[in-house]
Amino acid sequence: MKRDDNKPDARSWRKAYGLALSLFAVEVVLLYLFTLRFS
Amino acid sequence: MNRLDYFVLIATILAIPLYGLWRTRGSASLGQYLKGDASIRWATIGLSVLATQAGPITFLSMPGQAYESGIGFIQNYFGQPLALIVVCAVFVPIYQRLKVYTAYQYLGERFDRKTQLLGAFLFLVQRGIAAGITIYAPAIVLSTLLGWRLNLTIWFAGGLVIIYTVMGGTKIVSITQRYQMIVILVGMAIAFAVAVYRLSPHLSFENTLLVAGKMGKLEAVDFSVDPHKRYTFWSGLIGGFFLALSYFGADQSQVQRYLAGGSLKESRLGLLFNAAVKVPMQFFILLLGAIVFMFYQFEKPPVYFNQPAYQRAAENGYGPQLTGLQTRFDDVFMQKRAVIRAISSTSSNERDLAMTKLRELDVQARELRDRTKAVLEQAGVDPKNKDSDYVFITFILQQMPHGLVGLLIAVILCATMSATAATLNALGSTTAIDFYRPLIRPNASDHHYVVAAKALTAAWGLIAIGVASFASLVENLIEAGNILGSVFYGSILGLFLAAFFIRRVTGSAVFFAAVLAQSLVFVLFATTNIGYLWYNFIGCAAVLVLATLLQQTIFRGTEAHAAA
Repeated sequence: MKRDDNKPDARSWRKAYGLALSLFAVEVVLLYLFTLRFS
Repeated sequence: MNRLDYFVLIATILAIPLYGLWRTRGSASLGQYLKGDASIRWATIGLSVLATQAGPITFLSMPGQAYESGIGFIQNYFGQPLALIVVCAVFVPIYQRLKVYTAYQYLGERFDRKTQLLGAFLFLVQRGIAAGITIYAPAIVLSTLLGWRLNLTIWFAGGLVIIYTVMGGTKIVSITQRYQMIVILVGMAIAFAVAVYRLSPHLSFENTLLVAGKMGKLEAVDFSVDPHKRYTFWSGLIGGFFLALSYFGADQSQVQRYLAGGSLKESRLGLLFNAAVKVPMQFFILLLGAIVFMFYQFEKPPVYFNQPAYQRAAENGYGPQLTGLQTRFDDVFMQKRAVIRAISSTSSNERDLAMTKLRELDVQARELRDRTKAVLEQAGVDPKNKDSDYVFITFILQQMPHGLVGLLIAVILCATMSATAATLNALGSTTAIDFYRPLIRPNASDHHYVVAAKALTAAWGLIAIGVASFASLVENLIEAGNILGSVFYGSILGLFLAAFFIRRVTGSAVFFAAVLAQSLVFVLFATTNIGYLWYNFIGCAAVLVLATLLQQTIFRGTEAHAAA
């Protein structure tokens, strides 16, 4: 493990998790719109 | 399959392990053998995690699942992105900081030896059986349709995996999974394009999707809170979250994938890559099944896709009954096709009437398929897996051009090999590190443990082949494989969540809580009909509640030692 990994930039990782969550939310919304359009 | 197909198939499945062996040539230390080395980057880790989870059933059964019941199964993956974020934030930093080889070593450090061994034992039992099923499931379908000998198929796929996994350890598993996953993704993308291209010109692509939707195949999201519905947003989000948290956080076959590589950053990025791509990937695989369904609204499908089983029943004296059902099925098919063709040229009111008629005809077709299956069971043919497992492979064999057929069979075998390699690698490592090293040879050299890990990986490979060889004795095998994980995962996750979040609980309290929780899940499994995803939640919650209760009663007074 690299030395800088021991002090991860918590704020950057929180942003990354927020981005992943937002992406998931967008995926669910798109799937819901797909369902409304074609069902 | 012709010579070109066999050439593509053999070249694809042999080239990747050979390249992997060349990349991992030379001796490795215990750390390198069990955790790879710092050259493994997040993209490889991401693809490796994706390949470990996917397995052959994803590519063989999932399109058939959508063909039969629609794409609602996608909701089962809704808990996964959230679980992966929790694994990134909580599990990975702890594993990386403690420099563990297996997840269960952490239980030993946090609690005690017996809790470590319990976690490792639960993992070994369920993964040992699951590895056999991973090999058996595609082997039975491919050998049935292609006329290959079942045992030879099992030994070829299993034997090849054993050889390269034993020789190269974690690094070769990561490298081969990267290329196997690329082959899988490219193969499935081509299959998707060909399936769309082969759709009838009588309907536009949009109208094709509209008809598929009206026939109940495209309901991706259902916010219903009805507990009797099998796939809903809520069951996928909550049940799927616990299943994924246990699988990614506490199953060594996944933990070993993301602990490979150089740093916390690479591990986290690999997992976040999965959080981003898993739902879209599953959506396209399921949509492919819905497109194959629409293809077979214009091209006459067999009443039963497992044709060898159908033929055996006909030869056993059930020919007239089956022919009658096929004739009626063909008649319903012709009516359906006429209604669908008319849809594009009708007004909106007429279209609604046509859709109603279409749904009625589809119910009739489904009933005829069910009755055909009942006749097959009566005839003693008794197919071990669902007919929907044969839908996509039949489409590949009958509708894809030569060369592509070989590539897509290679996709299924690559998925088998990548999932099995990760499992054997994890089983060998866990047995060597959690059992052999502390209990049998505590102070041997690094080299000795590398040899032991190799021997144990080979032994687990042979056990997996043994399970696969005798798997035909078990009914509903593939479903059994899915249930198996859920029965064990809850208790294993409970052990880890107790370790992370209940600071004052001791090893003995959590050990007995896990034993009781696992017994509770076994009793519920034997006596009730609870949906299997709920076992993940029940097992986990039972460990946490019982551990707290036991700590407050029987083991009261030992907290100071635990917290120290």
